[in-house]
Amino acid sequence: MMQAMAIPPRFRARKLAILALVLAVGTVVAFGVLLQVWLIPLRPVVYLSALAVAVGIAVISVALWRGWLQVSALVVSALLLVLAAVFNFVLMRVPTGPSAFVVGAPAPDFTLPDATGAPVRLADFRGKKPVVLVFYRGYW
Amino acid sequence: MAISPDPNARSQELAQRLKVHFHFLADPDLAVTRRLGLVHPGGGEGGADVPRPTTIVIDRQGVVRWAAYADNVQIRPDSREVLRAVRAL
Repeated sequence: MMQAMAIPPRFRARKLAILALVLAVGTVVAFGVLLQVWLIPLRPVVYLSALAVAVGIAVISVALWRGWLQVSALVVSALLLVLAAVFNFVLMRVPTGPSAFVVGAPAPDFTLPDATGAPVRLADFRGKKPVVLVFYRGYW
Repeated sequence: MAISPDPNARSQELAQRLKVHFHFLADPDLAVTRRLGLVHPGGGEGGADVPRPTTIVIDRQGVVRWAAYADNVQIRPDSREVLRAVRAL
């Protein structure tokens, strides 16, 4: 067994490289798994930070020892960070345009069928109870 | 009330699975959602149009009191924020 004092940089660099790889790949796997689980909100801040930390660890490991493992850890974690950033900041963007709902103004009326097919009219709730409308993308 | 392009059968299944009792309204061709300015063009699978995730709170008089529009598909308003807006009515 190695003593703490005597660990050569090469071994420390290898440990850090493995840590960076596990963190980077683990983040992507965890994202994929959580996506299948209901009602768990996706947190871009969490996965982007985890990947950034992995890149940081990989940079330290390459600085300690420039081996293939250390360089691969840096390349893999940096690539995943870039992909995740493109995913979050480009692909997941929703364009914002004018909405017919204006805070302080009367809500526009509409009628839509509910899950049993019965028509529901928004204006029918006026004077009776408040309404929360949630527009969602549907099942996919 | 929750509004989506999902067919009724899927919404019924969802309501049962989540054990919620509010209305699930179907807007399969997004006609109403589009009229309200809440469509994300080409935002769905295969470039299909989908609703912009949006939450609106309307008071008893029919006036809009609170609105949250997603600018990122992954992010929704915190349910506590929505509750606060409802309680403030």
